[in-house]
Amino acid sequence: MIQKEDQNQVSERTYEILFIADPNLGEPEVDALTATVQGFAEKEGGKIQKVEKWGKKRLAYTIKKHREGSYVLLTVEGGSALVHEVERRIRVTEGIVKFITVRVDEDLKKAARRKARRGDDKRPQAPRPEAEEGMNL
Amino acid sequence: MSSDGDFRGGGGRGGSRGGDKGRGGDKDKKDGKRYFFRRRKVCKFCADKIDYIDYKDVKTLGGFVPERGKILPRRMFGTCAEHQRKLTLAIKRARNIALLPFAAE
Repeated sequence: MIQKEDQNQVSERTYEILFIADPNLGEPEVDALTATVQGFAEKEGGKIQKVEKWGKKRLAYTIKKHREGSYVLLTVEGGSALVHEVERRIRVTEGIVKFITVRVDEDLKKAARRKARRGDDKRPQAPRPEAEEGMNL
Repeated sequence: MSSDGDFRGGGGRGGSRGGDKGRGGDKDKKDGKRYFFRRRKVCKFCADKIDYIDYKDVKTLGGFVPERGKILPRRMFGTCAEHQRKLTLAIKRARNIALLPFAAE
């Protein structure tokens, strides 16, 4: 979990940078690439909170003629300028097939708040009814 | 029972294909006792207390995306408005990064 930063800090945000590396790259090359991207973020004053390697996964559709790719997920803390710069650098980096940056701090915070609120009310939860029959399309 | 109109619309699948006749057809159904009780759908995310719908969680998202890869209307799964909104966004993000297809090939 990553929502423990204090609320007085306004400028710090949490972003997830998920990128797909070229499947033809070996494990050490993907590691090197990850380090490079981490370097981009750190140079902009970002703090790396988490690095997750998902390994090779099949893509849902072809991207640049690739059918699969190595996914790497970075969780970074930093400002909006960081995203701008990191994205620009990723675009010119070879070996990255596609990437996405998502801001997660607000949604996670909201989710945590809801959870806390729910913990307060002691109403017994009704058991969940069985799901409807599966969709047949 | 007119408030059930929503559910009837989504529930046409599986049963007989008589929905094309319009209003009259519906009435016939009622009279002919082919009208059966439909269980109320409950938002899965509310029930499971999932507050944050993660775009990376393909397993969960996959359950809400039919084979064709479409995002279905709320009436199909009974998701509440709030969660449907979040679900839609999560699916779109997942599509962007090739975790989910835009359209099945």
